[in-house]
Amino acid sequence: MQPPILELNHITKTFPGVTALDDVHFDIRPGEVHALLGENGAGKSTLIKVASGVYEPDSGEIIVEGQPVRFGSPRDAQAHGIATIYQELLLYPELSVAENIFMGHAPRTRLGAIDWATMRSRSLEILASLNIDDMDVTRKVGSLTVGNRQRVEIAKALSMNARVLIMDEPTAAITESDVERLFSIIELLKQRGVGIVYISHRLNEVFDIGDRVTVLRDGRYIATEPVDQMTEDKLVSMMVGRTIDNLFPKLDAPIGKVVLEVRNLTRKRVAHDVSFQLREGEIVGMAGLVGSGRSEIAQVIFGFTPAHAGSILIDGREVRITTPGQAMRYGIAYLPEDRGTQGLIRQMDLRANTSITVLRALSRATFINRHKETQLAYSTIEQLSIRAYGPQQLVGKLSGGNQQKVVVGKWLATRPRVLIVDEPTRGIDVGAKAEIHRLMSELAQQGMAILMISSEMPEILGMSDRILVMREGRLVAEFSRAEATQENIGLAMMGDIGNNGKSVNSQLDGVEWQA
Amino acid sequence: MTAHETSQTRIAPAWTQQLRALLRSQESVLLFITVIAVLILSTQTDKFLTVRNLLNQGRLMTEIGLIALPMTYIIVTGGIDLSVGSIAGLSAIMLGYGWYNLGLPLELAIVLALVIGAIAGFANGLFIILFRVPPLIMTLATLAFYRGLAEGIAQARSVRDYPEWFYALGQRETLGIPNQLYFLVIAAIITAIILSRTTFGRSLYAIGNNELAARFSGIPVRRNKLIIYTLSGFMSGFAGYVLVSRVSTTRSDMGSGWELDAIAAVVLGGTSIFGGSGSIVGTMIGLVLIQLLKNGLALTGVTGDATIVVIGSVLILSTLINSVIQRRVEGL
Repeated sequence: MQPPILELNHITKTFPGVTALDDVHFDIRPGEVHALLGENGAGKSTLIKVASGVYEPDSGEIIVEGQPVRFGSPRDAQAHGIATIYQELLLYPELSVAENIFMGHAPRTRLGAIDWATMRSRSLEILASLNIDDMDVTRKVGSLTVGNRQRVEIAKALSMNARVLIMDEPTAAITESDVERLFSIIELLKQRGVGIVYISHRLNEVFDIGDRVTVLRDGRYIATEPVDQMTEDKLVSMMVGRTIDNLFPKLDAPIGKVVLEVRNLTRKRVAHDVSFQLREGEIVGMAGLVGSGRSEIAQVIFGFTPAHAGSILIDGREVRITTPGQAMRYGIAYLPEDRGTQGLIRQMDLRANTSITVLRALSRATFINRHKETQLAYSTIEQLSIRAYGPQQLVGKLSGGNQQKVVVGKWLATRPRVLIVDEPTRGIDVGAKAEIHRLMSELAQQGMAILMISSEMPEILGMSDRILVMREGRLVAEFSRAEATQENIGLAMMGDIGNNGKSVNSQLDGVEWQA
Repeated sequence: MTAHETSQTRIAPAWTQQLRALLRSQESVLLFITVIAVLILSTQTDKFLTVRNLLNQGRLMTEIGLIALPMTYIIVTGGIDLSVGSIAGLSAIMLGYGWYNLGLPLELAIVLALVIGAIAGFANGLFIILFRVPPLIMTLATLAFYRGLAEGIAQARSVRDYPEWFYALGQRETLGIPNQLYFLVIAAIITAIILSRTTFGRSLYAIGNNELAARFSGIPVRRNKLIIYTLSGFMSGFAGYVLVSRVSTTRSDMGSGWELDAIAAVVLGGTSIFGGSGSIVGTMIGLVLIQLLKNGLALTGVTGDATIVVIGSVLILSTLINSVIQRRVEGL
């Protein structure tokens, strides 16, 4: 067995109020994929930030090829061959592929000017070495798909002779075919002796490509094991410290009267003639490909982008909703798809984020009652077991799952009657996911009507009483819980096979077919 | 350990933490710089640290101050208003024109000036929210447009010889304090309370930090933007009126360059030019610091050019100190 390229020993890192890492070990050998697992907030992000020089540990040692080193900045880590690809890709959208690959270390001519020709040809070489031969290196990165941008990031890392490549949730935002391609690139990198640190919430991926796996929990090191000696159940219980027996606990709830009804709802170019009903105690799943009009119809109901035609009825009475404020007055809440840009104000603290939807109720003559606001924050933290050190914590510093809980909390504070959730569990770990599912189930039991938009088939099948399917801005099918299967929903989502000359495979992009 | 227990253990030293946060705030740093500046300047000349001189400085900074208050709101939302000086000029002209040329009663001419200011600000806001014109570009355009209107209406004539009562606001004192200073102080207190304590103030921070999320949270983003740009226009108009009353005459170039003085006070006061943070207290300290530096340096015989250099240096210095402190607070 080869000696590790990078070793992190006894790493401890604290932030005001929290110990993010407590005596953690991690190492990476050449040519292996080492998966790093843990719930949100377990310390994975902090650990990779230590490995990539963003944070300096309070104690512990970092060893590169047997030599102890100190990383004062990400640049130091890069100089030692450690490259990181973050979830939010850090590229310059207005620059070309080649410029991005060589940002900061462009080849020079003898006169010191940038050698554009060499830059382009070397970019092409690097991409070709990854079996990527369909990319125009002069194109602006901003015009590329997320999958392609990720390949540019990988090429950029290789251009700096990276020997360790840290990938933080590389498959969170890319399509199924991009995932396959990513895996074949990872295979090539392994053959070249690059060590890959792989972080993902998708356990099946860990089993597909991982060689070893390290599990963290609450900032502590749990274990490192060869992947082939692990099972999914064993990994999950290591991660959460308990066994999760049912991922989708939709409990029986009495179905009451119709709360929300939409009739022939239309908004030009995004949604046409959509009609459905939502009853008390019901969870209605909404499936569809990305861009099929699912989020768009939700945003029409919420008044964010008002309808051009059709009607919305609350308790059988027609209402006019043209702003989110109006929708909220009718008891409608909408948890948007992207918590970072739409759901939360990351620079503000937890207290201000949970109270933002109910400021009027928390104030008297527009003066905000700070005490009530703080109380709300504490009760939200407790009710949703949010891992935060208090109401003053900036939400941007919380982990993904805890951020999502803050979004849930801020909308529950409005005591909605209709809750529309858009991808409620995207990018969060199994533990937080189960908690959110349990919560939705309990809310339905209390009589809330829930519309759940999701791209995850198991979530749709497991949680929904009824399932609506959107395609190209229209509502094309409805299934009861009993009728619904992965196959008939999938077929309805894609319509006639071969439609528009697209292959089934390309239409499947953006759907997660994991059972 | 549950989240709740964690939060409980954090409560105990809360007041020391708050004190430390207070001392580290940009406002405190700036106050410290101001005190140092006053001490240094007072050793250089005995004309500086006198009640009479300081009150007179209060009189001189009122117009910029009245504009800097709503400017703080606008910058907190991530916007900017460059047209304030031109609106002040336009309002001043309308005041003189309404009274002298149209023969309106002077009281009505004053109201006209304020209404024109508010309308000019409302127009800025309307274009910004309806056509999504970036505030920088919209108000840069109206900076020229409103100034052009003022000059067109004035036709290079100035209006003077207002009745005696008109000068009360700009040139007289009550209880020994210049009259316009009362307005500035009251306006500062009201705007400070609104920004820090009310739902409206909170919404401005939310908009400045993440406008999209603010809209998704049901905050009337467009309405609130319209309100602050209108307020900015109104206050600019009022500042124009205060200026006319102080200098006894109306000219079309009044208020030129005020936008930069107002923005400098706001930014020096710690309001982020990118939006999302800032305070009225900071703006007021920034305003006072700039005025005292201008005055103190002039009294000690420093020339005008050198004074500008010093003010620029103070702006850079305070920004540097603040960013160093911020970085230490964030532990990076």
